[in-house]
Amino acid sequence: MSALLNIRLARSLWRSKIRLFAVVLMVFVGVFAGITFGGYSHNLGGMYDTMQADDNKGANLADLWVDNRSTTWSPDQVNTFCDALELAWISSTVKTSLDSCEGRTITQGTMFHSNDNGQQIINSLWHGIPADANADRVWLPSGNSEGRTAVAANEIVFDAHVIDALNLSLGDIVTIGAGNATADFTLVGIGYHPLHVLMAPEGTVFPPESGQYVVGYLSDTGMAHLTGNVLGTSNTIVLDIEGTPSYDFPNTQEYEGEEIDAIKELIHISLNSTELDARVRDRGQNEPVEVMRQDLEGTKRTTIPFTMMIASIAAITIVLSLQRLVQSQAKEIAVLRTLGVKRSSLMIGYIASPIVIGGIGCALGALFGPYGMNWMLDFYQTLVGVPIIIRTIPISVFLTVISSTMLIVFLSGAFPAWKASRLDPLLVLSGKNEMRVGSNLLRRLTSWMPTTLGLSIRSSVRKPVRLTMTFVAVGISLMLFGSIQMMSAGLQETFVGSLEDDQTWDAQVYIMPDAEGPVLDWADSNSAYYEMIIEMPLGSVTDSEDIDRIFTLVGLDLFKNGMRSISVVEGEVPTANELLIQVMMDEGSMKFLGWNVGEKHTVSINGVQQDVEIVGTSNAELARTMYFLRGDLSEILGVNATSIYLQLPEGIEVDSALGEVSTGVVKRQNLLDGINSLLDQQTKIFQAMMYLGLLFTIVVMFNTMIMNVAERDLELATLRVLGASTRSLGLMLLFENLLIGIIGGIIGVLFAYGGAVGLAASFSSWQFIVPVTIIPSVAWQLMFGVILIAVAMTPFGVWRLRHMDLIEKVKDISQ
Amino acid sequence: MKKLLQMENIERHYETPAGAVKALDGVTFEIMEGERVILLGPSGSGKTTLLNCLSALDSPTAGSYMFIDQVVPRNNSEQMTSFRRENIGYVFQFFNLLQDLTVLENILLIQELAGKKDPQRAKELLKLVGLEAEIDRFPGEISGGQQQRVAIARSIAKHPTLLLGDELTGNLDTETSNKVMEVLVSACKQEKITSVFVTHDEGLVRYATRVIRIDSGKIVSDKSLDNDLKE
Repeated sequence: MSALLNIRLARSLWRSKIRLFAVVLMVFVGVFAGITFGGYSHNLGGMYDTMQADDNKGANLADLWVDNRSTTWSPDQVNTFCDALELAWISSTVKTSLDSCEGRTITQGTMFHSNDNGQQIINSLWHGIPADANADRVWLPSGNSEGRTAVAANEIVFDAHVIDALNLSLGDIVTIGAGNATADFTLVGIGYHPLHVLMAPEGTVFPPESGQYVVGYLSDTGMAHLTGNVLGTSNTIVLDIEGTPSYDFPNTQEYEGEEIDAIKELIHISLNSTELDARVRDRGQNEPVEVMRQDLEGTKRTTIPFTMMIASIAAITIVLSLQRLVQSQAKEIAVLRTLGVKRSSLMIGYIASPIVIGGIGCALGALFGPYGMNWMLDFYQTLVGVPIIIRTIPISVFLTVISSTMLIVFLSGAFPAWKASRLDPLLVLSGKNEMRVGSNLLRRLTSWMPTTLGLSIRSSVRKPVRLTMTFVAVGISLMLFGSIQMMSAGLQETFVGSLEDDQTWDAQVYIMPDAEGPVLDWADSNSAYYEMIIEMPLGSVTDSEDIDRIFTLVGLDLFKNGMRSISVVEGEVPTANELLIQVMMDEGSMKFLGWNVGEKHTVSINGVQQDVEIVGTSNAELARTMYFLRGDLSEILGVNATSIYLQLPEGIEVDSALGEVSTGVVKRQNLLDGINSLLDQQTKIFQAMMYLGLLFTIVVMFNTMIMNVAERDLELATLRVLGASTRSLGLMLLFENLLIGIIGGIIGVLFAYGGAVGLAASFSSWQFIVPVTIIPSVAWQLMFGVILIAVAMTPFGVWRLRHMDLIEKVKDISQ
Repeated sequence: MKKLLQMENIERHYETPAGAVKALDGVTFEIMEGERVILLGPSGSGKTTLLNCLSALDSPTAGSYMFIDQVVPRNNSEQMTSFRRENIGYVFQFFNLLQDLTVLENILLIQELAGKKDPQRAKELLKLVGLEAEIDRFPGEISGGQQQRVAIARSIAKHPTLLLGDELTGNLDTETSNKVMEVLVSACKQEKITSVFVTHDEGLVRYATRVIRIDSGKIVSDKSLDNDLKE
């Protein structure tokens, strides 16, 4: 008996093939997304581990950097410092040991690159890495890199990020410069460096467009050859400590840096005893490392809510579709019950069918999930430019995703069947179970409207639970889609807008301290306007949590009408010759630090304590920044300028002469392109999720529309028999869809805004503040999109109306 | 009396796995304005198929069907719908009122769809079927007999020329059936509407002016009831 009943059920369900496939599809999508994102998140976790590892295969990222970019230390000074540190270490209570203390030169420079467009002056950074270096080595992963490290004085390794853009290959000769010197080097390797996953110049997190910023790794002899300094001359000391001492993550409330603080204390003692001035940074304070850690963490973190969102949408759709599928069986269940079939015999099929339906969807999802994960990892790998070598999906990911999906499928299939089996067969067979009384409230609200419009509205809200669930699902779908769009638009408007509208320079020329003379001469001889600025990431302050926060110091001559105008949101711009130095701070810093305009604070500037008065707040800046009048900052730092803004007359371009007298040149257009490119990249990382969100919006809306129309077959058939034209009924459906679209759109925009605020909060940290502004065009775009999807469903309803077999329907009506 | 419609040699064949089925096999008859016709016949005799052809829900396979001297469209869904909208009223066995609309709104909707919205007439019709007190109630709040009376008011709300009904009292008890039929007859007389009803209930013959009996797709008898016609 049961076997026949199950065959009957299978055949009966097969009659609703489209709905059946829709359920299997949603189960598949849910499991596929769960495994894709679960595996993606899991493998991202180990992404940098292989690169930073202190073993033969890794590059051994240093634990601490001691540097001073405005001077160099002789080999003796470095050795003396390292000896002093070792001595201090031995007599301290620090339990871990110092693995290595190595001097390096890391210098800004230029690359003279010729291509079809002539010679380009490319802003660059050169590392001098000894052949026997222990920490911060070049990473040459097997199969994902080429060549070897530089050993000879004329050899160089280029970072893999720029190879394609510059069209370079092993054996090529490249001409590079640093300050006043230039030299030719042979390319012997193409690899990666743990400090340059983010290919952005120091002080910015925006990488210029690929090929507009170059990082190269020379040997120590190569660096001596380039700079003309004595071998072993350094401006950076890299320290590697046994294991990885815990350091503070700037984006967390807790302070995790006690272990490294004890070591930093030893470093400060040693610096004092050897009379060296230097900045000391751990991994959390080394911006490129920290930004990428946060980026990775953010990406990993967002996969969880994104997976949850996708799972919720899939669950809602599965619940709605499967319930509808089983509810449509109510009459057959009633007939069988009337014929005397036991409830338990009936239920076996209804328990088994969701398991079979879910099982097929889960199997497909589990089969294709790993492909989705690999696609996402490949995509992220392409964007970041670092190979993700180890890829595995833990069994726990499969088990969690499949078991939760199966539970949802089972409950949403078996529960309505159980409910249907408890219905009085007489009620079902007489159709009385479908009788209901309309809402008086709705009647009052819509009685003034044309009856067709009133009916449209009442029909739309006939199943409030389903409609609410649809709106929730649409809202979540649009949260996926719209929040990323909103966040990107906010970033675009804030950062690109300010660089485009408030800054008028064409090129920023970086110089060695007090080496502005030749650049100013170049500007004069080319009739270019110039403005000197000081810009150094040398400020720090201890916040209320006792955490050292590093910020950029910017010294300008003019805050308004200069080449870099600062938009003041509160207070005034600093004035000169005050007893206490006046400064302005960016909005993000003020919020993080809880400071107010008018307050006086003590900050550390290049290691020196300085009292300042905060007189104004500048508009949102990406980097935490304190603005000084250049004269004031120059007095504190003893430097006239670190770079010079140039406004170039028509026909004048940056040339090699300028390149040779500078340590790097950045064109504003390149910077803009770089920011746009980074924002595009960031958006692309989420684009898969965005489009998944859009797809879900379409599926959810379509699912609801199909159910709405299918459920109203009888009603629509009645109206057709009574002479209602397809056009008038189509208009009714259009009204309904429009109504659902408008409400869905409004809910979608609200969800998207909420999602954007949540995303921005999860990404925002001291280093990187993400502003969220509602850009009306994005909100309209979202609303319009949902309305369009809803309205686009009307033809389906009209098609169904046209193809309705009225004779069959009249038979149904008569039965 | 003027001729309202004429069917000549109407055939309706269906292809089934077991072969062709002749649901209607050469049906010929005329109906005059003001007649109240009842189609009687056993199950499967073809009476519902004939009703479907009369209403232009279905297209005959062969034969001619003229309605007020005009050829009735066939095999064209929109033209057939238009014919129904302009000429036909229809009453279903299960009433098929829209649950989300009140009694009055159910009638207004049909008027609106036919482009003849007239709330005053809708109310008058509800008065005619004895439901003036129920106009703001939903179908779920009134009895089956009352619902069928609303359905009758709805079907005549747009001034149809021909009113059709398929087992329209099949879902009602005898007493309610009689009340509904009395209302229907009275409404048809007042509105001067010709009507054709399919039923298997011989008891309803007394409400008709003519009875056509069908069996195996053929008219087996066609009889005018003189005493009713005298009314």
